[in-house]
Amino acid sequence: MATLKKSPGADMARLKLFYRMIVRPLLHEPVRLILTVLAVALGVAVVLAIDLAGGAAAGSFHSSMETLAGDNDVEVVASGGVPENVVATLTSLPYALRISPRIEDYAVVGDSKETVPLIGFDLVAEGSKYLSSEGGPSSNINQQSSAEQSVAALSEPTSVWLGASFRKQTGEKIELLLNDQTYLCTVRGVYPDWGDNERAIVMDIAGAQRALRRLGRVDRILIKLPTGASVQDWQNKIKDVLPPGIDVRPEGTATDENRKMLAAFRWNLRLLSYIALIVGAFLIYNTISVSVVRRRAEIGIARALGASRGNVLLAFLGEAACIGLAGALIALPLGLLMAKGAVNLMALTVEALYVSSRPGNIAVTGSTVTLSLLIGVGIAVISALAPASEAMQVTPVDAMGRGRREYVMQTHASKHLLIAFLLGLAALGASRLPPIGGKPVFGYLAAILLIAAAAYAVPTMVSFISSTTSRLLGKLLGVEALLASRSLAASLRRTSVLVAALATAVAMMTSVGIMVGSFRQTVVAWMNDELPADLYIRPAGDPAPDRHPTISSELTDDIARVPGVAAVERLRAYEITYDHMPATLASVDLENLAADQRSDFLSGRTTREVFADLRGENAVIVSEPFAYKHHVKRGDVLALSLGESRASFRVVDVTYDYASERGYVLMDRATMLRYLPDPTPSNLAVFVRPGADPGDVRKKIQEITADHHLLIFSDRDLRTEAIRIFDRTFAITYALETVAVIVAIMGIAGALLALVIDRRRELGLLRFLGASAAQVRKLILVEAGLVGILATIAGSILGYFLSLILVFVINKQSFGWTIHFHWPIAVLLGALTTVYLATLLSGIYPAVLAARVDPLEVIHEE
Amino acid sequence: MAILSFRSVTKSYTTDGEPVQALRGVSLEVAHGELVGLVGRSGCGKSTLLHLAGAMDFPNSGEVFIDGKLTTGLSDAEQTGVRREKVGFVFQSFQLIHTLTVIENVELPLLLAGKVDARRQALQRLQWVELEGLEERYPHQLSGGQMQRVAIARALVHSPKILLADEPTGNLDTTTGGLILQILLRLTREQQTATVMATHSIEAAAICDTLVRMRDGHIEEITRR
Repeated sequence: MATLKKSPGADMARLKLFYRMIVRPLLHEPVRLILTVLAVALGVAVVLAIDLAGGAAAGSFHSSMETLAGDNDVEVVASGGVPENVVATLTSLPYALRISPRIEDYAVVGDSKETVPLIGFDLVAEGSKYLSSEGGPSSNINQQSSAEQSVAALSEPTSVWLGASFRKQTGEKIELLLNDQTYLCTVRGVYPDWGDNERAIVMDIAGAQRALRRLGRVDRILIKLPTGASVQDWQNKIKDVLPPGIDVRPEGTATDENRKMLAAFRWNLRLLSYIALIVGAFLIYNTISVSVVRRRAEIGIARALGASRGNVLLAFLGEAACIGLAGALIALPLGLLMAKGAVNLMALTVEALYVSSRPGNIAVTGSTVTLSLLIGVGIAVISALAPASEAMQVTPVDAMGRGRREYVMQTHASKHLLIAFLLGLAALGASRLPPIGGKPVFGYLAAILLIAAAAYAVPTMVSFISSTTSRLLGKLLGVEALLASRSLAASLRRTSVLVAALATAVAMMTSVGIMVGSFRQTVVAWMNDELPADLYIRPAGDPAPDRHPTISSELTDDIARVPGVAAVERLRAYEITYDHMPATLASVDLENLAADQRSDFLSGRTTREVFADLRGENAVIVSEPFAYKHHVKRGDVLALSLGESRASFRVVDVTYDYASERGYVLMDRATMLRYLPDPTPSNLAVFVRPGADPGDVRKKIQEITADHHLLIFSDRDLRTEAIRIFDRTFAITYALETVAVIVAIMGIAGALLALVIDRRRELGLLRFLGASAAQVRKLILVEAGLVGILATIAGSILGYFLSLILVFVINKQSFGWTIHFHWPIAVLLGALTTVYLATLLSGIYPAVLAARVDPLEVIHEE
Repeated sequence: MAILSFRSVTKSYTTDGEPVQALRGVSLEVAHGELVGLVGRSGCGKSTLLHLAGAMDFPNSGEVFIDGKLTTGLSDAEQTGVRREKVGFVFQSFQLIHTLTVIENVELPLLLAGKVDARRQALQRLQWVELEGLEERYPHQLSGGQMQRVAIARALVHSPKILLADEPTGNLDTTTGGLILQILLRLTREQQTATVMATHSIEAAAICDTLVRMRDGHIEEITRR
């Protein structure tokens, strides 16, 4: 069989054809082209921004601590700190281990109020060890300080060494808040650091222990292993000589655990960012569909002149790829810009809900560029597959215009409805499947299936509503409305894609709005029960779930003696690791428990009943996120490492908790003190005697704590603060919604422009028949309005179902929270009205163009 | 008395940067109930004359009067008003709106003008063109002749004084075209409209009261019968 040989220059000829038949027509409608490209660019930029910002926001916890830790292999850790004698035990081992104990905490800088990592290590001993390592900050510290400082001065709790980014000179003073006390420290030396995000304060370990009231304990012991045996072998050898509660693990495990803990947060945000891209995909589908419908005759001619089906397919995919490529290239700088805006917001959320973190640098790498190009071109080509395949099927004799295609679509309405129904059923099935690796994969699949079901159902809905209401609309809004609704129904395919695109954006807005509103309402109701005290006290400085600065016991006793104080509840919290995930271990003072404490438990039991099981026993309550994450339920037994011990605790109940996603384990203070004897509390809840004025009591407490840095909140302050943090947490979600809606609106403006161009004949004819320019403008605006209404209806229905998936599947499987469903009516109405008005606005420019159509020209063309 | 008057009208426009003189000093008067045929080669100015007669465009010089009103200097709203009140158009390719039914197409000019009782008048015009019973059909369900009759009904629905037809039989076979011409003639007489028809058809030219032969933008000959 003969084969067609490719002649030299064939590729160039094809490129010329591609330019003439595809690119040139696109360039003839620059506004529409720009809108489509920008819509793609925005969609890609959002994905890129969330990826970059997520990496930067989540990648910085403990980074300065890790940098200053030097080159180590394993670390020794324990809940509540590692006893100092363990250092001696390890040093006495007959191995060439390099042992580096560390104190690690945070200090608040007095003038800037900035919270900065504070690291204490043995400057004398380790300085000599690090001298051989090149470029390490430790060596600089030692070199600069040793010449001028005596060893005695090193271990002063007021001697500090700062990174150069603090812009302080040796000998200058700096005020630091550690726990509840302020220290005026002297800068003993300055070491080079890597900018604001890496800055830290260094103290000698002895000074840090005294300043932080951690005498006899260190936070970590870092070990550099000799070469030879595997790390696992060394871990086993070291573990053998340590008490059971003390753990040996590879250095950097905490960072890995934090990243693991943040995975769900980042994953959810990333997937949310894809919504704008999905909306963009609808619009590319629409753009290519318009191209195919317009060029149906041209395709027929090209086929008759020898173009193969493959040529036609490639031509339209090429058109989409060009749009995608242009969008991706614009998305790169746009994404970077958005990432810079998003990173601080994300870092605040990470800090408020997960772990101490400071935003790192946004790193644009080759893979970032590749990702952008892949997403842009990929989504464009995938979106164009269906219309390009349709173009491929056009035969020369079949190239007879738009009517046939619309007819085909209408006759397939029942088939499309059936597909929509089956997709809906599949979504229902997927929503009932468990998570995979802690990720709600099937929950997201269910959401995608629902969006697909809606896309299939929309044409029937548009056709039904348009045909049944057009005459009524005509009577209510005039003949323009009749023409508009008929036109929408006649261009069913185009209208459906537009409605589906905007409906997806509206659905996202509605569903996230319902989810956030429900969550907010749940949190507000929960706080009403959980905050029974009149006043709450904690050390000053920014709070974070993994930072637990303490209040001195003496001061706590003084507060308890203030006239008017009925009781002071002492809460102590520690950072622990359970099942390779960070968590909080807390104790509550059951002796002084308030009578009206009304915690909610999954069992439905009263607080009194549950706490009775807890009192003095090796028993714990776990929070719902902890229970969900670790598959723990009432009656299970947890093995916890506390100090040097490893003990078992019975889970007496699971409590609802919305304060942090990391989860907590709560026990009686008396029980905790048996294992971790440090009596200093992290927080205090103060109950005022009946009849006493909480304002007066607060003033008295302020007077006696004037020398300390404590923050005193009323229950109302605490609620307000919690809601402020809550709203800030979801600010980025609203930003993502807004982008998706903007993409959809831009798409609608572009599509209406295309509609005006395609209907020039009709618009010109209307002028012949006596339509004024204002009536033509009104016609297009009514069309925009109808698209807006149809999309709002479809989007609200889809949004309701998506919100069920978000609340009961994705949220639950990602974070473990039980959220009570709530309709935030006012918020939804406001948002939907805004979107509707924006849709109307998007019709203004096309409407102006429509009114400018020259009737003589278009009728003459006919 | 003339309902439509052209006095020394000239009209030029630019196509692809080249000036084109479409009308050169045209003068013409059309009376109530008169059927005027415009004949001549393509590009001779027939369509331009119709556009000026329908207040769709302005002359460069000279004057066009529609029912005694000078069109020069009319605002867009005034032009629209003239079209709504005084002029009806019939096109070669029917120019029906495919998303509207027959009756909706016919009543469209009345609805655009905000007139009441549109449905009754539209039904009556359909009777004039003998299309009763087809009101709810869509254009694609009609034959070419039926579509042109709908277009005539639509052009007359607001009782215009002037009916402008551009090649009304150009897309029809001879028999159907003949039928359309008979309808146009009958309605011109019954409704006393001043009908101006651009045509290439000998049959069309044959039924006209006045035949205007055009060439290169000017009137070469006017034959009154």
